[in-house]
Amino acid sequence: MGKRTLIIYMVITLLVCIFAVMSGYSQEDVTTVEDSAFEEKMRPTVQFLHDEHNEAAEIEEECNVCHHVYEEGKKVEDESSEETECSECHTLNKGDNPLSLVKVYHLQCKGCHQKKKAGPIMCSECHPR
Amino acid sequence: MHDIYNFVSGPLVWVSFIIFFGGSLYRLISMAVLAKKKDVIVYEYMSLKYGLRSILHWITPFGTVKWRKNPILTIVTFTFHICLIFIPIFLSAHIILWKESWDISWWYISDTTADVLAVVVIASCVFFLIRRIVLPEVKYLTSVSDYIILAIVAAPFITGFWTYHQWPGFKIMGIIHILSGEIMLAAIPCTRLIHMVFFPFTRGYMGSEFGAVRHAKDW
Repeated sequence: MGKRTLIIYMVITLLVCIFAVMSGYSQEDVTTVEDSAFEEKMRPTVQFLHDEHNEAAEIEEECNVCHHVYEEGKKVEDESSEETECSECHTLNKGDNPLSLVKVYHLQCKGCHQKKKAGPIMCSECHPR
Repeated sequence: MHDIYNFVSGPLVWVSFIIFFGGSLYRLISMAVLAKKKDVIVYEYMSLKYGLRSILHWITPFGTVKWRKNPILTIVTFTFHICLIFIPIFLSAHIILWKESWDISWWYISDTTADVLAVVVIASCVFFLIRRIVLPEVKYLTSVSDYIILAIVAAPFITGFWTYHQWPGFKIMGIIHILSGEIMLAAIPCTRLIHMVFFPFTRGYMGSEFGAVRHAKDW
């Protein structure tokens, strides 16, 4: 093994270690879109890197662009609803068609992407196999 | 990509549905007017009882001599036509789009079921294609337009299957899928796919003439 190859191997090993430690620390990061109301999943879970998305969308300071609060049909501008699952307000009663909740999620993501002309819009772009 | 998607899934859907419904209505009315002018006897002989009797026989698998004589064609034709209508209407991915746009939804089939049925439709199209090429009596009656119509019908299912399985180029294929569905809808009033709308009348008239005039069965 040449000296150069050895150095390359060491650098790669070091990078892998750093990555492993970093991902250990960043376990709290949101990486998927989950909602406990979906008991049976029809399509694979949507991968969603929360922080990267918001950086790209330039909405890091505006949580309520997505985590909105509505009162009597009007959006409350200075309130936001992090830590609240969408299905807590967009309720799904037993026996309800789950599509009503699917619709809320789709319009929230796809609807905005269509307006901004950025981000995934087709089924398979968010629900990969 | 966003502009194309928004265009094919927005205005073009309207265009295709308007051509489908408007065009079919136009074809029906103009055919009725033409019959009144050139073949008024059609109105004289048209009978609900004999018409329905014939239609009922023909929409029953193996309900006619022709169906019994060609069992394979019968099975393929029936499964093909049922799946053709059934899949696009009851596909969950389509219904979610109705739900998003109009807040309406209905019963849907599982993706696995749809997947299997789509293969049935594609295989049926291959069967029809081979039949056209191989059987002399069918080949004799075949023109280029028959192949084009077959391609128009097969395209939404092939592209849909491709997109669902996320094979290479599936994003473009998704756009082509939407487009091909719209082409098929719009092609119905413009091609012999109009048999979808004309069938009750053509079959109904045959049944009426055979039943009321010739006192014979037409099945």
